[in-house]
Amino acid sequence: MIKMKTRNVDVFYGENHAIKDVSIDILDKTVTAFIGPSGCGKSTFLRCLNRMNDTISICRITGELLMDDEDIYAKSVDPVQLRARVGMVFQKPNPFPKSIYDNVAYGPKIHGLVDNKSDLDEVVEKSLKRAAIWAEVKDRLNESGTSLSGGQQQRLCIARAIATAPEVLLMDEPASALDPIATAQIEELIDELRHRYSVVIVTHSMQQAARVSQKTAFFHMGDMVEYGDTTEIFTNPVDQRTQDYITGRFG
Amino acid sequence: MEENAHIVSAFDKELAHIQDQISQMGEHAAAVLQTALQAVKKRDPALAQKAIEMDKILDDFELEIEERATQVIALRQPMALDLRVLISAIKIATTLERIGDLGKNIARRALVLSDGKKLKITSSVVQMGKATRKQLDAIMAAHTARDADLAVEIWENDVDLDEMYNSIFREVVTYMMEDSRKISAGSQLLFIAKNLERIGDHTTHISEMIYYVVHGKPLGDDRPKGEPLAYSEE
Repeated sequence: MIKMKTRNVDVFYGENHAIKDVSIDILDKTVTAFIGPSGCGKSTFLRCLNRMNDTISICRITGELLMDDEDIYAKSVDPVQLRARVGMVFQKPNPFPKSIYDNVAYGPKIHGLVDNKSDLDEVVEKSLKRAAIWAEVKDRLNESGTSLSGGQQQRLCIARAIATAPEVLLMDEPASALDPIATAQIEELIDELRHRYSVVIVTHSMQQAARVSQKTAFFHMGDMVEYGDTTEIFTNPVDQRTQDYITGRFG
Repeated sequence: MEENAHIVSAFDKELAHIQDQISQMGEHAAAVLQTALQAVKKRDPALAQKAIEMDKILDDFELEIEERATQVIALRQPMALDLRVLISAIKIATTLERIGDLGKNIARRALVLSDGKKLKITSSVVQMGKATRKQLDAIMAAHTARDADLAVEIWENDVDLDEMYNSIFREVVTYMMEDSRKISAGSQLLFIAKNLERIGDHTTHISEMIYYVVHGKPLGDDRPKGEPLAYSEE
């Protein structure tokens, strides 16, 4: 099932044509990986999917971006509400300087998703469990989120992102600042999350893209060069540029 | 080369080395076959012994190629074309080792044959051997050039070896029926021809590997084959 759909999307940063005519269907309950060299536009495009680029004044977006066939750039859409439905996790874990509990509780509270303390407790516990960090923090929920290790902080941020019951989860290099064990835990978590959400991940690690995703899109100089099943992209890509990039050759 | 080179040049060197090992192994397998066929032709036990000795190096080649390819896979996580090259290198090394074994088996039978009287059919078997050797040389050239079209051509030509085998089979059976003293030598020659036919089949397997490396998909299964042999002739 198609969760998000873009048609002929162009993005400009001032004069810079950062994304050129990208049309893609992002499937529900699927992990989609965006890969490509630095500056290819993959993060820019990811940030279009929850209107994170709105905050950049020189950024201009044309074309159609739909979620469940609704235009996410329509006047009637509140970007803050949209970001609750399309959650995001960043490269560097960025927990609030608050308690572990409050980090997760923050979203449901400001969006008014819960009525009372016991409901909130439940959402916090469920989110931390789904982010596979509950066992490690359940006895120290009042400690600061920043006291956790890098890998734990990132899982806390994932718990925070899923606490608002999003439908899509965007991840921009979620494991690049983590050690291999923490990375493996995040990858295991992504595989769990895809049973509930549509996950889109930007990664520089092609092995990671190959490991976690079912669909892969390769970006190069603002173009989406190739999009298809991950197994096909990594064993038998159609486009020479994809081949050159994934095999580590000059394109 | 420059344009298609890896950013990590050591990776290119490792891949090139493995390809080179495969080429050398192919030449060596062809030499085993050639020596064994000479032994059959000349009824020369010394040559037969030599072919048996030569085959041992193929086992070392196979081990080394497997080990190196495994190391590259583990250390460099190759993708796409690179991965296909390495997977097929392992398979081709195994195939060449089997071709060597069949060559060795021909040499063993040449040892047995060297005791007895020469049969007229020997020249047909030697002819078939030459054709087999030609197929093997051609496939190794296609491998070096990474030429899928040539590989397919060789793959299709295997039907000629199948037909040669069938006609030798009929001929030898006729000889053995005529003169029971020829049964011993005749059956050795039959096995030799069967070994050559098997080498031809292995050669087609290498064709399939080359096709897979180039196109990333299997060549398929509808290769022209010789008429199925009627084993119980009325």
